[in-house]
Amino acid sequence: MKKKEKSLKDSQGMTLEQFEEKEERTRKINEHLNRPILAVAYLFGFLIVGLIAYILHFMIVEKDEVIANAANSRLDSFAADVIRGDIVTKDGVTIATNNGDDRYYPYDNMFAHAVGFSKYTKAGIELIGNYYLLDSHCNPMERFINTLREDSSQGDTIVSTLNYELQRTAYDALGGADGAIIVIEPDTGKILAMVSKPDFNPNDIDAVWEEANSENYTGSMLLNRATQGLYPPGSTFKVLTTLAFMRQNPRKFMKYHYDCVNSEQVFNSVTVHCYGGKTHGSEDLSDALANSCNQAYADIGTKLNVGEWRKMLEELLYNKDLPYTGASATSRFYLDKDSNSGYIPQTAFGQGDTLVTPLHNAMIVSAIANGGLMMKPYMIDSIETYKGNRVKKFTPSSYDTLMTADEVATLTEYMRKVVTDGTAADYFAGAPYEAAGKTGTAEYADGQHDFSWFIGFADVDNPQIAVSIVVEESDVNGVKATAIARRIMDEYYNLKEQ
Amino acid sequence: MNSVIINLSKYIILILMVLYGFSAFTVLCKEDERDKELSLNRQIVYVFLIHFLAYLTFSIQSPGDMKTIITFYALQILIATLYMYLYHYFYPYSSRMITNNMCFLMLIGYIMLTRLNFNLAKKQFVIATASLILVSIIPLIMDRYKNLRKYGIAYGIIGILALASVFVIGVEEYGSVNWISVGGISLQPSEFVKILFVFFVASMLSKKRDFRQVMITAVFAAIHMGILVLEKDLGAALIFFVMFIFMIYIGTGKFRYFLLFVAGGGIAAGLAFILFKDRLFNHVLVRITAWKDPWSDISGAGYQITQSLFAIGSGGYFGSGLTKGSPDVIPVSESDFIFSAIAEEMGVIFAIFLILVCFSCFICFITIAMNAKSRFYKTMALGFAICYIFQTFLSIGGVTKFIPSTGVTIPLVSYGGSSVLSSLVMFSIMQGISTIENKEARKVEKEREELERQSGYDA
Repeated sequence: MKKKEKSLKDSQGMTLEQFEEKEERTRKINEHLNRPILAVAYLFGFLIVGLIAYILHFMIVEKDEVIANAANSRLDSFAADVIRGDIVTKDGVTIATNNGDDRYYPYDNMFAHAVGFSKYTKAGIELIGNYYLLDSHCNPMERFINTLREDSSQGDTIVSTLNYELQRTAYDALGGADGAIIVIEPDTGKILAMVSKPDFNPNDIDAVWEEANSENYTGSMLLNRATQGLYPPGSTFKVLTTLAFMRQNPRKFMKYHYDCVNSEQVFNSVTVHCYGGKTHGSEDLSDALANSCNQAYADIGTKLNVGEWRKMLEELLYNKDLPYTGASATSRFYLDKDSNSGYIPQTAFGQGDTLVTPLHNAMIVSAIANGGLMMKPYMIDSIETYKGNRVKKFTPSSYDTLMTADEVATLTEYMRKVVTDGTAADYFAGAPYEAAGKTGTAEYADGQHDFSWFIGFADVDNPQIAVSIVVEESDVNGVKATAIARRIMDEYYNLKEQ
Repeated sequence: MNSVIINLSKYIILILMVLYGFSAFTVLCKEDERDKELSLNRQIVYVFLIHFLAYLTFSIQSPGDMKTIITFYALQILIATLYMYLYHYFYPYSSRMITNNMCFLMLIGYIMLTRLNFNLAKKQFVIATASLILVSIIPLIMDRYKNLRKYGIAYGIIGILALASVFVIGVEEYGSVNWISVGGISLQPSEFVKILFVFFVASMLSKKRDFRQVMITAVFAAIHMGILVLEKDLGAALIFFVMFIFMIYIGTGKFRYFLLFVAGGGIAAGLAFILFKDRLFNHVLVRITAWKDPWSDISGAGYQITQSLFAIGSGGYFGSGLTKGSPDVIPVSESDFIFSAIAEEMGVIFAIFLILVCFSCFICFITIAMNAKSRFYKTMALGFAICYIFQTFLSIGGVTKFIPSTGVTIPLVSYGGSSVLSSLVMFSIMQGISTIENKEARKVEKEREELERQSGYDA
């Protein structure tokens, strides 16, 4: 009270001008003090705007991929309101649908690993596309009515990148052998066919699941070898050894020369012989690749800087996770600059401890076919409503440019020679297109059995298809990867002509 | 039929939320008093409608508990109405926008807690109501006792003692030792020391602003933060630090102090990290790893954040609808992760507007700070404004993976007795400042009128 009186007295003694002056002064001080406050307010406003922008970014860009994650338990609760959608191939063949309450796969084993299954756990497209299958974009009015009637709406259809005819060809070509086949469109990364054997019938998933989980089961029919199988790359690795040699000797590689005259030769105190004990005579680098000459590559290996070599392979995704949404294994390259030099010769021609997945090999050969640019492989082309109206289209996305145009041109020329004059020549005789590739035979089980490999693409001038094929125990079953490649490429160009 | 009502409620709630969110800003720009009153009244209608529709959904979904739910609903409405009415009856100079926002945030909190855990909702309601009654005398006290600015160092000492009390009677929770237990009631001292700390800095700087005074203040502040770091409550330490640097900047008006303490804080944090990496910062490192790549360890370190993102993403823009999602899967969804629960069931649009309402509170606080003529109140108001918005930012940013998670709550929305009481104290102090400064402004206005009349006579 006292204070109040005092202040009243103070102002009572003032004239209006003095009062105004005093007020003006306080106002000015206040204004001066407020300027930084305003700045602070803006700063925090900025922070909040950033937060909101981030949340919107999450919703627009990342959401779909995040909630499609198999660990998201909420997706199953969507199933209460939505009937799981169908899966069709790009050429319009339904490969997964519903039969009453059960999932039905019209082609049994043919698409087993590619399409996967959705009971017990999920795999294949059923896994990576789970979210889309349980989302429904049918007419809002229809959905509203369904909600009123407490009915389920029909989930969206996944149009996969798979081609029915190519898948069938690949499936038949592999026949009763175990192994894996991947067919990719090099300039987009679209997976056109994916086969892995041994396989299973997804319509009998109850029995399959029980068997696969029984105590004395030692097989691996649920493992998708195309993406998760780790194989020694065999002679297909020579393509990468060639690339490493070219990079480390940019001028001299063209003058490389090797005389393969002895059936055996020692490199870094390791004895090396060529396949079947053959000799290849005088070779340049392209001949060495065409003949798949182990001795020449052992010799090249001893000339390589191992640290650089490993660096290049890691750029090509060895020892790295592949940019692929489905489950995939990591390819392995073990050597580094401190490794024992005795490991180098056989590693250079594809034996040793190196391991690669068929998918990874397919990505590498696709990158060569696509001018050095590696595309991310994918299997879902688009999403449609059950009535066929497009909801979403997945666009190709690139991983990185891994080779220069010159390197690609040289590798293509060399790989073409493999098909015209080298180890694949017999298989591709009379082909109406120009293929390029590399064969491979990898020994395993201490040389008792062979893996048969082929990686390649066609056409050399305008690559439209790339394949990566591996056949297990080809010495027993007689199935050769290169022969399969021929059949698939023939079918591809047949389909194109129609 | 029921699902139609629930679905419709979902969209109507969303529309009401958008309306409220917009008006929480347009009101701030309105000049005309009557216009403003109207808008503020309309806001109350929006809030009550949202609240009604939410509880309608709950009673449809669990007809067995209908009686308890309706009683609970009625009690909330009664308290909220009484509070809004009586508060402005007794404190005509307080800010109505703040009261509205306060009720809004608390009611949204009750809705979500009722959804997640009815017992916690009831507990929260009892604590919050008792706190509301308690804190309603704060503006009165502040108006009566103008010498609050004189205690300077005393605030600092009490604050430090209170923080240190956890070393004697502390309990560990979620890897931090920041709770004490007194007579069966668990308290989080840092929630209250936050307020004392604002008083401390504001009071120190209201006396003198020379280098020596600033340094003394800084030493005390450093002790506060040091104790919090030892308690492994790094979220709180960060909030204290941010409040401190900005209050020093505004209190002294010198940007160089701001730079000095930002650098000093950075160096101190770096040194502490190098020296005590294993002992103090292990769980921080775990959180940072979980933030950078939660997807590589979904079932372990990344569990909380991935569940939170699944919730937000699966709910989508419009939400799954109340009771239709599964926010109970997210760990601590009732407190730290309540934002994700809200986003999942009420929708991301709702959640974004919730952030905007929080920002509207911040703007109200800033306006109070700018209107304050006294340096003490100005610095204090700014301190609380920053404390409020920064804590909200840390909480929401943490659960959306914008920043690493720090485990702080959203004031008034999240469950937690200490949190809700200290937030209410904070809001009431702001109302106190608003009351004092508005009264002061009114007085000056009267004096001017008086003088104008006199000079009129003279002429």
